[in-house]
Amino acid sequence: MEGRPLDEQELVEQARGGDARAYEALVRRYQDLAFRTAFVIAGGSADAEDAAQEGFVKAWYALPRFRAGSPFRPWLLAIVANEARNRRRSGRRQDDLAVRVAEDRPSGDAAPSPEAAALATEQRRLLLAAMGRLGETDRQVIACRYFLELSEAEMAAALGCRPGTVKSRLSRALDRLRAVLAEPGGAMAAAPDAGLPGGGDR
Amino acid sequence: MSRRELDLEAALADLATALEFPPTPDLAGAVGARLEQAPARAPAPARPARRLRWPAGWRRLAAVGLAAVLLAAAVLVASPGTREAVARRLGLRGIGVQIGGPPPPTVTTTPGARLDLGLGDQVTLEEARRRVGFPVLVPAGLGQPDRVFVDEAVPAGGRVDLVYRARPGLPASPFTDVGALITQFQGQPTPEFLKKVTRMGVVEAVTVGGEPGYWFSGEPHFFTYIDAAGEFREEQTRLAGNTLIWQRGDLTLRLEGELPKEEAIRIAESMR
Repeated sequence: MEGRPLDEQELVEQARGGDARAYEALVRRYQDLAFRTAFVIAGGSADAEDAAQEGFVKAWYALPRFRAGSPFRPWLLAIVANEARNRRRSGRRQDDLAVRVAEDRPSGDAAPSPEAAALATEQRRLLLAAMGRLGETDRQVIACRYFLELSEAEMAAALGCRPGTVKSRLSRALDRLRAVLAEPGGAMAAAPDAGLPGGGDR
Repeated sequence: MSRRELDLEAALADLATALEFPPTPDLAGAVGARLEQAPARAPAPARPARRLRWPAGWRRLAAVGLAAVLLAAAVLVASPGTREAVARRLGLRGIGVQIGGPPPPTVTTTPGARLDLGLGDQVTLEEARRRVGFPVLVPAGLGQPDRVFVDEAVPAGGRVDLVYRARPGLPASPFTDVGALITQFQGQPTPEFLKKVTRMGVVEAVTVGGEPGYWFSGEPHFFTYIDAAGEFREEQTRLAGNTLIWQRGDLTLRLEGELPKEEAIRIAESMR
């Protein structure tokens, strides 16, 4: 969107000066991003809500230390992701993300046949199920890149690693995902309990 | 980059278009409400007071007091967005629930006055029935209450509290000698009762006699309310243990006690 960076900078400046309304506008703008990032890291929606809310409150108090002019998103994500990591329970299964069953093609594309739509849905489920068999670090780095579409700086902030290591981490995670998909029946084996719609803990 | 790599990346990007994250909660409203009641930000970053070292019993009380009222004020007045979100979460008339956030750090109340919970006038059941505009129900499962309190003024239409002393099968709450407390009033769109559940509390939707209800367990929570004139009022140290809130017609009822869920629902369904 045009003019967005300026808007953001103005809001950040006002919030830095103590304007809570400007900050609320910032929260509204980034609450999806923050919640979903926290979800990817904490693994459950209740913990994600908690982490995102706490992260936003902490970020408010930390704003005076925010360097004017630097990008806001990575800074915010670092705080939220840290809260999310603190809430992550070890050994806990990641709440499932759901794959929409109905095709949701951007308008303009020809509507696929029902068979093609079913096949596409099934393939997506298998892919998501395969991700569920990866280790936490691999899953998180892939989700940050492809599901949240974070930049490298944002990924580094969210994952708590140096920006220089993001690329190699992602590449290794993709290798392992490819290996899981190549296992005979590997993805299939995980299909029944992973990635099905209706996941989540609410 | 190999073709296979590109294929996998394309497949992941395609998966992302069909992925559904859980719905994002109203964080802006919740954060706004918390900032409203928080201390103004000092040039040096001020953080909400860390946990004070209260005696064990008191630590659980850390959710009462003026801060609660301020929080309610913030939620209900300063942030209409949150107010709607709160109302949306619970489908019960006259009840709002705010979940999340640490308990307010201030405790301004004194320990509960045993059986007298500051509930209004102590009266007989018959007198209470005369003074409020709705039929007062009594749980057959518990029998006649040990004490009855009535408050005709708040909320509009009045409110009746039935108090049951702790006894075998009805364990005392950690804060008072009370075994069970049943509150009933006619739910109004406003004023709303506001119930806050601290961060780790658990809320579960239940059915009581075919009507909607909610079961609160885990960490303690507290009540504040706003009367018809828009004044904030704080209910005395009525720290709930486990709490069941449910509806019966246009009555909203609440049962507090250290009871298991099934027992609470059984008592609730025995209200006549």
